[in-house]
Amino acid sequence: MGGWGFVAAAYGIVWGVIVVYLFTLKRRYNQAAAECDQLGPSEAAAGDEKK
Amino acid sequence: MTKQRQSAKKRRGILGGLALTAILFSLYWSLVIAPPDAYQGEVQRIMYLHLPSILIAYLSYFLVFIGSGLYLWKREKRDDILAYAAAELGVLFTALTIVEGSIWGRPTWGVWWTWDARLTLTAILLLIYVGYLMLRSLIEDENRAAVAAAVLGIIGFLDIPLIHMSVYWWRTLHQPPSILRPDKLPWENVHPSMLTALTISFVAFLLLYFYLLSLRYRVGEMRQEIKALRLERGI
Amino acid sequence: MTLLSQAFLMLWKDTLLELRRRDSLLTMFFFGILLLFVFNFAFDLEPDKITAMAPGLLWLAFLFTGTLGLAQLFQAERENHNLDALLLSPLDGGALFLAKATFNLILMVLVEIVVIPLFWILFNLRLWNLLPQVFLVTLLGTIGFCVLGTLMSALTLRARARELLLPLVLFPLMIPVILATIRCMEEVLRTGQFGDQVGWLRLLLGFDVIFLTAGVLIFDWVIES
Repeated sequence: MGGWGFVAAAYGIVWGVIVVYLFTLKRRYNQAAAECDQLGPSEAAAGDEKK
Repeated sequence: MTKQRQSAKKRRGILGGLALTAILFSLYWSLVIAPPDAYQGEVQRIMYLHLPSILIAYLSYFLVFIGSGLYLWKREKRDDILAYAAAELGVLFTALTIVEGSIWGRPTWGVWWTWDARLTLTAILLLIYVGYLMLRSLIEDENRAAVAAAVLGIIGFLDIPLIHMSVYWWRTLHQPPSILRPDKLPWENVHPSMLTALTISFVAFLLLYFYLLSLRYRVGEMRQEIKALRLERGI
Repeated sequence: MTLLSQAFLMLWKDTLLELRRRDSLLTMFFFGILLLFVFNFAFDLEPDKITAMAPGLLWLAFLFTGTLGLAQLFQAERENHNLDALLLSPLDGGALFLAKATFNLILMVLVEIVVIPLFWILFNLRLWNLLPQVFLVTLLGTIGFCVLGTLMSALTLRARARELLLPLVLFPLMIPVILATIRCMEEVLRTGQFGDQVGWLRLLLGFDVIFLTAGVLIFDWVIES
């Protein structure tokens, strides 16, 4: 591999991994948000909104 | 969604947008504008990833330390959530640092790995915080896990200077006579645009980090809410 | 009751228990010796190499033996919910920490007192005059191991896969101690004195002091977990 080969490997892996992590993070986020909405607002939050 | 949540989400979105812009900008500077190094050639560009990565990792572990300390002191769940989130991100960036270092090392020193001070230290760091994550996941009771992890978070961070000292001494006192000196960064002539590339890269990584942290933190927060809601509903 | 007298009391209790059954001590003992034998087969331990490899091998043996001891350290407390009882009592967590760490230290020192001369004999090291320095370095390292190890042993008490988790979290943190003891010992065996490796001794001492203090202060929280 020439110089650029290593650079490509490094940048590719790093940003690839970050993107993958970001996607898994977003998936966890959406799952949690869905479950939160499903369970409905808590009495405490309902009290907050009234304020 | 409450008004607070909505504005938090919007701020996160803006942060994400800024991060993306900075990343694109830094890619351009690092790969196009900055000149290749006189000695290392193009491979030196990996440093624009490597240095910010390790600094971000240390920042992360510092946050683990702070979160752990605050949690043990005040027992507010949000500090524990912060510590956990920061540990996860810390492991991510430490692993990336090692990969970057290894890829940089192959053309520079001719080997994929060497037990020089920097690489060894980064590997130890990774082991410590992987241990942290394992500890958290292997303790059933969440509150116990939080306290145990917080103690480990503090002890681990306190140990880091000692580990630094011992590994550096180990490496410098027994330096075999060789042409290559993996301990020193072979940066002879630092071109100004290289510094700019580095700075932009660092800013990009920083923004990215805080974006990821806020996302991860929110996930942790929601998990707590889910637990509380389940308790309320008697599920 | 002061911290030290509380600690002494608990140490005395553990010692009495151990004197009666001796299972911790004996297992650690034989395990340490067994490791020496295994090392002999695993590494080609010829006379010219042995002096250079001795510190590393010895310290490896003690690490694993010590980990055995740590795993059993809170055994009595785990059974019958003794730990909860201790938590409820006005006992200072720091005292429990000191007692447990000292207990493991005593066990390890007893093992080392036998294993080191045994190593000398088995591998024909004629450096008998250097034993005091070797013991000193080993002692400092063992203190560091026991201090940090007791902390980790208590932290991982209620974790699943505890036997695996304990070394996993402990060993990376132990690296300063491992490096310091082995380097010091190498120098001692090579030249008969500490020379420029004295810095390592100071590091060891610093390590011991820092984590001893941290342990005493923090242990109340540790047993909570």
